[in-house]
Amino acid sequence: MNRHSFISRNKRELSVALSYLVLLVLVALLAPTFFHPANLRDLAVNNASVLIVACGMTLVILTGEIDISVGSQFAICTYAAGLLAKSGLPLVVLILTVVLIGAVMGAVGGLLVARLGIPSIVATLALMVIWRDALRWGSEGAWIQGLPQNFQWFGLGQTYGEVLVVVAALIVFAAIAWSLHRLGAGRFFYAVGSDAEAARLAGIDSQFVKHNAFVIMGALTGLAALLNAIRFSIVPGNAGIGLELKAIAAVVVGGTAITGGRGTVTGTLIGVALLGTIGPALTFVGINSFWEKAIQGTIILAAVVSDVLMTRLSTRRQYRLAN
Amino acid sequence: MNSNTQLAPDLKLIAPWHLRAFPNREWILVVVLLFECAIFSLSGDNFLTRSNAFEITRLSVEVGLLALALTPVIITGGIDLSVGSMMGLSAVVLGSLWRDGHWPMSLAIFAVLVLGLIGGALNGLLIARIGLPPLIVTLGTFSLFRGIAEGLTRGIENYSGFPPNFLFLGQGYLGHLVPTQLVVLVVSIVICAWYLHRTAFGRTLYAIGQSPEGSRYAGIPVGRNLFAVYLSSGLAASISAVIYVAHLGQAKSDAGTGFELMAITAVVLGGASIFGGRGTVLGTVLGLFAIVVLQNGLRLSRQPAELAGILTGGLLLITLVLNRLATFAGGQSRVNTGAEELDVRNSQVAVLSGVILLAALVVAGSNWLLVRSIQHGPQNERPINSSSKSNHRIQVAMMPKAKGDPYFVSCRLGAEEAAKELGIDLLWDGPTDLDPAKQNEVVEAWITKGVDVIAVSVENQAGISTVLRKAREKGIKVLTWDADAERNARDFLINQATPQGIGYTLTDEAARILGNKGEFAVITASLSAANQNEWIKFIRARLAEKYPDLKLVTVQPSEGDRDRAFSETQTVLKVYPNVKLIMAIAAPAVPGAAEAVKQAGRTDVKVTGLSLPNMNKPYVKDGVVESIVLWNTTDLGYLTVYAAQALISGQLKQGDHELVAGRLGKIEVVDDEVRLGAPFIFNKENIDRFDF
Repeated sequence: MNRHSFISRNKRELSVALSYLVLLVLVALLAPTFFHPANLRDLAVNNASVLIVACGMTLVILTGEIDISVGSQFAICTYAAGLLAKSGLPLVVLILTVVLIGAVMGAVGGLLVARLGIPSIVATLALMVIWRDALRWGSEGAWIQGLPQNFQWFGLGQTYGEVLVVVAALIVFAAIAWSLHRLGAGRFFYAVGSDAEAARLAGIDSQFVKHNAFVIMGALTGLAALLNAIRFSIVPGNAGIGLELKAIAAVVVGGTAITGGRGTVTGTLIGVALLGTIGPALTFVGINSFWEKAIQGTIILAAVVSDVLMTRLSTRRQYRLAN
Repeated sequence: MNSNTQLAPDLKLIAPWHLRAFPNREWILVVVLLFECAIFSLSGDNFLTRSNAFEITRLSVEVGLLALALTPVIITGGIDLSVGSMMGLSAVVLGSLWRDGHWPMSLAIFAVLVLGLIGGALNGLLIARIGLPPLIVTLGTFSLFRGIAEGLTRGIENYSGFPPNFLFLGQGYLGHLVPTQLVVLVVSIVICAWYLHRTAFGRTLYAIGQSPEGSRYAGIPVGRNLFAVYLSSGLAASISAVIYVAHLGQAKSDAGTGFELMAITAVVLGGASIFGGRGTVLGTVLGLFAIVVLQNGLRLSRQPAELAGILTGGLLLITLVLNRLATFAGGQSRVNTGAEELDVRNSQVAVLSGVILLAALVVAGSNWLLVRSIQHGPQNERPINSSSKSNHRIQVAMMPKAKGDPYFVSCRLGAEEAAKELGIDLLWDGPTDLDPAKQNEVVEAWITKGVDVIAVSVENQAGISTVLRKAREKGIKVLTWDADAERNARDFLINQATPQGIGYTLTDEAARILGNKGEFAVITASLSAANQNEWIKFIRARLAEKYPDLKLVTVQPSEGDRDRAFSETQTVLKVYPNVKLIMAIAAPAVPGAAEAVKQAGRTDVKVTGLSLPNMNKPYVKDGVVESIVLWNTTDLGYLTVYAAQALISGQLKQGDHELVAGRLGKIEVVDDEVRLGAPFIFNKENIDRFDF
């Protein structure tokens, strides 16, 4: 395993990391105060739940599917966390229940996609609308207040609470990164995404793997919703708007192929960091936030275009070497 | 992936007529449509009328055009998420060329169509030439187009005042019956059907959807044809934008938000396979009407708007599942299901059907109870001062800007209280999110339904006024509350506070907190929110006029999201260390900003703004939120219903100077405005007295 093969194996991640580095250098030149520790801490805390959701999304996209209902799942889990906390459930039960609710919603998507063979983009589009409108109907837009003292930061206080949120997200990230590469079950996600039929012939139950990807995605969304909710003392009725796009964009910018079978959560981590940095960085540099969406769109396009062009270049070089 | 294969290519020779007409079981939709019509003709008022039929088609034109353009895109196995954003971009470009560029309307429209082609060409280039996945490319252009639209207009610009002959395109009737834009839709349907089903080009699209590689070997110019498909989808988006602008009479950067999802839903509901190779124009049209009729019918049956979303999603899933099961059950044994061979046990199907059925029952049941409790509540206690002469109960239809917004939820409480006291039937419906197009649809439905009074909190002045005038022509009394329409489009305005009053009160409050000197930042709703932009205008005016030492350093968006307001405030606090006051002017933004200030430990920074007392109580008591400015929203809803009743009974007419409104007592009336009073400032001392 020489240095060259490390670079060629992680080319996509490295190129995203390089773009991120360029962005950071630009910000460092234009607005050095961006790197104040307090700001970096806030960035980490604010993007922790996005990272968890994006890690789950990476699994789903690796199997060649997509889940655009996560924003709505996130909203329902947030609201459920508020209701359950108010009813005075013990902390451990609360955490488990919210994660379970997320997993059940993920399982519904998994059932439709993996078992019934409905295209994931359509199935989760329908679920996105159903979950969101069901919550709106049930909650009528009301917020949950009067939560117990130990809800915010799980009663740990702000400093430890923030550490907990970030560490939890990093543990999820590390666990997924490790198991994707070191566990047989992790390799299944790649196998199914590369070629479901070949995977089936190799003895992998591809429906089961896809279904699991959705369940894990749902459970992680539940966890992310909870970790986001405990940062505040009130629970809103409309959380997670646009979260699905954020997560998908981070995964794609991170080099994961939308067609499945290729990508790493390390790339996703950099993608989350890149997209999470742009918004605040614009304010720091003094660019008007009107242009934020346009810049985000450009970055997504630039990421995929450069990816394809680089692949073409390297294939061409290989041809030349071969001939 | 391409396992959802079309029926055998020699279908035409051997298949019976119903397979030829409905190759993808589109007849299911015909059944659904008939079923919907049957139910709604029983439950809805005036559902089965000629004018309602045309109204339904008018509302479906914009989405319909997008759905038609997306049909070939999806048949080739692609997708275009950028069409809604392209509408936004086209709308603002049309507006600015016409108003700021002084271009003639026809030339501006032409330029916009070219713009649509350019946007489509960008998608086509990246997808067909470079070979990127359509989902990702159009996800990128989805952000890009909307972003450019917001950047160009700085989110603020709202173009209106278009010439009448242009508005005729979106609001007029041909022969007093047929909505003008329907012609555009019908022509587009014919063209699209012709190209897709009757030309060689159309057949190549199916081939590409089946297998792009195979098509290339068969000599089909795959890249060129794909390019053409995305080009036409960009063009359709810009045509749709022109009609949208003519329909609503305004052009703003948020035009067409979410339309892409509705269009995709219609196409997929119509039997097109998202994997490509399957789909018909007939199916798309049926799918479109299945959705639109559902929404319209639910409105006429006074069901909540959220139910429409749930049922649309459910309908989509059920048709797909049925389709899948039917394919699986046989009849198409020739179809190569290969890797995707369905491994569904009967028990799983039973469980799924059970869950769906159960959910439907729960929804239906709870809804029935809800409707019953609303209808029967007031009936049991007959009002003493009911002014309705006959046994006809007055129907007052009241619309908020967005149903889920806590602000409007609290208005509803007061409205229901008043309706109960007066024995009035209160209909409360509106868009679930801010959506000017939806507001027009709801008013149209209420006109068809034939309510007595329509009271609207207006999101888009120019757009809704036409519809409101139509309501007045039909003898319906029209009120506006919270935000006004054009003056001749309504009888009275229930005015809680003018934008000027709000802007000035907020600025004065900021000056008081800061001691007339210092820097502050504004956290607004979205950058294109009309109300907030109006307030910011008056805030700036007040600053210039009275407080030269007070400085507004930045305006940041919260998108109506508490968490976004939180992170924006964190950034503002760091970038502008001299900011000593955050003024948040959207209800969810105040608690978000307050939490950010609190967590940053910046005790020198205060928060004020426009929000509801309840969600801010903890922060007001902590002293983070110094004060919030608002009127009593419950009273606003209460007063509106009282004014509606007085209007019907003739107690309120032009030239009156006061109105007696139940527990509120005498309320001042000036010209055609009923005034609730000045904005109220909630602070530590008084906030506990309010509960909304």
